[in-house]
Amino acid sequence: MRPDVPNAIVTAIATVLRDTGRDTRPIESGMLLAGDLGLDSLDLAQTIVLLERSLGCDPFRSASTSRSVRTVADLIAIYDSAVAPGAS
Amino acid sequence: MTPALLDAPAEDRLAAAIGEMARRSSSAVAIVAQAGSAARCTIDYGWLSRAIVSLEAGIDAGRPVGIVARAARVETLVVIAAACGRQHVPVAFLAEDSRDLVGQLRDWVEVDDSLSLPAAAAGERGRREFETVPPQVIVATSGTSGPPKLVDHSWDSLLAAARLAEHWHGLGWLLAYDATRWAGIQVWVQALLTGGRLVVPASRDPDVVARALVEESVAILPATPTLLRRLLTSADRGLLCRSGLDRITLGGEAADAALLEEAQATFPQAKITQVYATTELGEVYRVADGRAGFPAAWLGKALPGCVRLAVRRDGELLVRLSRDTAEVGTGDLVQRRADRYEFTGRRSDVIVVGGAKVYPKRVEEIVRGVPGVAECRIYGLPSPVTGELVAGEIALADPLPENATPESVRAAVLAVCREHLEPHSVPRILDIVKQIATTPAGKTPRKPHS
Repeated sequence: MRPDVPNAIVTAIATVLRDTGRDTRPIESGMLLAGDLGLDSLDLAQTIVLLERSLGCDPFRSASTSRSVRTVADLIAIYDSAVAPGAS
Repeated sequence: MTPALLDAPAEDRLAAAIGEMARRSSSAVAIVAQAGSAARCTIDYGWLSRAIVSLEAGIDAGRPVGIVARAARVETLVVIAAACGRQHVPVAFLAEDSRDLVGQLRDWVEVDDSLSLPAAAAGERGRREFETVPPQVIVATSGTSGPPKLVDHSWDSLLAAARLAEHWHGLGWLLAYDATRWAGIQVWVQALLTGGRLVVPASRDPDVVARALVEESVAILPATPTLLRRLLTSADRGLLCRSGLDRITLGGEAADAALLEEAQATFPQAKITQVYATTELGEVYRVADGRAGFPAAWLGKALPGCVRLAVRRDGELLVRLSRDTAEVGTGDLVQRRADRYEFTGRRSDVIVVGGAKVYPKRVEEIVRGVPGVAECRIYGLPSPVTGELVAGEIALADPLPENATPESVRAAVLAVCREHLEPHSVPRILDIVKQIATTPAGKTPRKPHS
């Protein structure tokens, strides 16, 4: 079954916010990771490890991922293509 | 041990000491196997001595190039080592994770628990008139800092740290280490050279170890801080308090102040010694004042054995064994705290998060102080964003403190870390596990998954 990428990403970000003692809030796809959610590079690193566990892939490990990641939607798009059938 | 025995060449001494003990008191217990379990059994000095003589006859007839001790039972390892030593045949001990290295020992003969030499053992070597190379003891490294490899030791270096004075004789020694590794071999050699009893627990289960300590009246416990911590946090308290331990000898890793205090409180009559040794240098110094690290006043002074310590600008501990040898980097980092130098960890264990260094041992000390945490380990996880990320595992106390849940303990750990550590040092991945794994050498692993 194809994994629910948006749900996994929202769960991962909520875990990061909770683990770092920040308020959790509704997370929407249009939100800016840094600007709206306050995520820094450490938070992003944690999110990527959590997603590797829940989705079984880390698209950032391959050098081909050079797209800018600014919003929740950007993150969803990157993981969507990484878990798509046929993707390595 | 009689003076005559002390004059014997190092390689002869194990067999000679066991033989002498057997003559004096053949039924004296040498080894308690499967201690702490219903399968407990004992091996006496008479049996060991006869088995050594019998294997020696086989070795003498065949003169193999070398013998690989491929035995599961400690008594068999002892017999092989003693017989090889006195027959001047090199002996190799290969732990479970280094069995593949046997290919490097060409034409060596394997001896297992049956103690029989294969018929093919009759080698081409023949008896030599002169032994130009001292018979060696080959042991595989534990592979904590790389893949296991074979290291050549001499019988002299194996016996160098042995305590032979009269008050060390006839004591009960617990074998907490793997019997095929350097640390473990030293324990059984020490116990049997001094007519003592070697107590081998049936497993590493903390309750089994605690039962072995009490039921076999163990006097001396050599262990790593990780093994001691596991015993203190997980074994039955009532049982531990009944033990009559005289001495705990810690080695292999640095012990922190909290562990030393807890150990002293649990075993009030025990003297706790910390031994600092490295694979390359052997034993460098011992501290027995019950405090972490070593006195800052030791720097630049000549210690027993003419050892001198120094600290490089980057915090690495340097050792010079004698006037004639060069200063050697140890890979261990130290930091001055008041009148002490305390260990902050191995240089290779340092986690680098976005260019900033994190010392896992320091994080572990803080995590361990949180109520509800029994054991923990901190390690670096590779990250495409920050290079590495601090990750950890916690094993929970049983029972948990009142009103605590696994999730609340985990949240408390993170909150305490945020309060005491810089943001990059706070664990970002923190898993609750049943038990913290230990390396085959009984240390806390620093790799993501070992």
